[in-house]
Amino acid sequence: MLSVRDVSMTYQKGKKEALKNINLEIAEGEFTALLGQNGAGKSTLINILAGNVKKTQGSVSIGGYDLDKKELETKKIIGIVPQDTGYDFVFTVDEALKKQSGYFGIKNNKAYIDEVLEALYLTEKRSARIRDLSGGMRRRFLIAKALVHKPKILILDEPTAGVDIEMRHTLYDFLVKLHQSGTTIILTTHYIEEAEKLCKRIVIIDGGKIIADEPKEELMDAFSRESIIEVHFDQALNLADFDFLSDYHPHIEDKTRLQLKASKKDLSKVFRQLSEKNLEFTNLVVERPKLEDIYLNIIKH
Amino acid sequence: MKSRVFYNRVGFATLLNKEIHRFMKVPVQTVLAPLISNILYMLIFGGMLQTREVGIDGISYLNFLVPGLATMGAIFAAFQNPAFSMISQKFQNTIQDLNSYPISLAEKILAFVFGGMFRGVLVGILTYVATIFFVGYEVAYPIFFVLSLTATSFVFASVGLIAGLVLDNFEKMNFALAIIITPLTYLGGVFFEVSKLPGFLANLIYLNPIFPLVNVSRYAYIGVCEGNIVIHVLLTMGLLISSFLIAAYIFKKGVGIKIV
Repeated sequence: MLSVRDVSMTYQKGKKEALKNINLEIAEGEFTALLGQNGAGKSTLINILAGNVKKTQGSVSIGGYDLDKKELETKKIIGIVPQDTGYDFVFTVDEALKKQSGYFGIKNNKAYIDEVLEALYLTEKRSARIRDLSGGMRRRFLIAKALVHKPKILILDEPTAGVDIEMRHTLYDFLVKLHQSGTTIILTTHYIEEAEKLCKRIVIIDGGKIIADEPKEELMDAFSRESIIEVHFDQALNLADFDFLSDYHPHIEDKTRLQLKASKKDLSKVFRQLSEKNLEFTNLVVERPKLEDIYLNIIKH
Repeated sequence: MKSRVFYNRVGFATLLNKEIHRFMKVPVQTVLAPLISNILYMLIFGGMLQTREVGIDGISYLNFLVPGLATMGAIFAAFQNPAFSMISQKFQNTIQDLNSYPISLAEKILAFVFGGMFRGVLVGILTYVATIFFVGYEVAYPIFFVLSLTATSFVFASVGLIAGLVLDNFEKMNFALAIIITPLTYLGGVFFEVSKLPGFLANLIYLNPIFPLVNVSRYAYIGVCEGNIVIHVLLTMGLLISSFLIAAYIFKKGVGIKIV
């Protein structure tokens, strides 16, 4: 569905090499997270796909069309939700969506616009000017705008930045449904739990290079050899008292919680050692590392 | 197979419609205000100077003034429409939306230029309509008059598009309007006969691109103009083609639209 081959990009301003030989293949129906720090190259890659930035090297194919040779055909296949919530001062939600449909060659799109507005809880605001919408509503409007031409690929560049938690979950539900209906989705976000919850594949960009590209479960399994064991006590702890667990990197959190890291095969050993000491703990939690921990681990290395 | 030049007819029509819809939403600012200015020029200059020896011999000054004012109105309106549109899209951070539409380069450029041209012709014709009260409705060559306003508007819509692409804020746009377009217009023969200018200024005016545009419109309106009408028409066509090609080149380069 989307193929990025040996793509490099150097900005004229400052001669900054934003992307270095990026290779990425995304199949139809995938839900992929594109993660990376600010300036890692995520937005540059998205801007190349959107036609806002000209790559300096490599090739891109969208839906089987070469971006350089059949650019206009590729536009019909993708919908972009930009990071920036820029909006037109003059038009209402309804007017803007009708015009957006027109730009994509669709004349009578009322029924689908109604459907999208309803799914995004914007029906009541259809006559409101975009400038009068709240930040969260404007984000949803941008998603609606990117969807009016029924793109096969939806690219969302930090769609939930600045959106309250309730609305964020509403958007998650919407994206899950959209994905289930067959849309290929690429999501960039700074909320790693968002990627963990929604995406099936994780791509991490750092310094203009892809440093990880795995199905989410495989990535998490690969980094889940060590579990985090958290032992809760009802009194303040002294790290020196846990020297007998030094093989498991003991660490005290909030004075009363002992954290240990142990591989799956060592878990029973840890429990045995804790029992032998007759320690009075109030709770014990074994956690698999979160995607956020894995992400930080990969970025640091 | 679809043509690469004209690829998306509905998309082109929508973009053009947006350019027209945008200024029609604020008609007081975009149509009425320049019209009132032109009527005031008519009242003040026409009233004060109608008995003096200005204008072309045998033609009343008010009649001399009407095509100049209509052309001036068309120039400002046609320039401002695409220039304001592009700069406001930059200001609103929506300019890059243009890159995401499956609309060909030619269609995009023509939509912006035709939008400005429509506004220019509208203001030009309304100026003429408003002056009927002062000078009557006679026009020597009515179709040629509309065509001359159309050509003038096309030229300045292209210039406005260039300004909108190259400039990044309203301050710079207003500066270009005040420092370049307005003086050229005032000195382009809108208000006076060029032969009345002293010495080198009379020759210098032939370098002013607005001079042939005013003269073509004046010829169409009153049937006479300064200099040779054929040369003015040829110069107008040259301006029309060159301004459009420059706008197309800058647009294609992605100046102001793409991140480089």
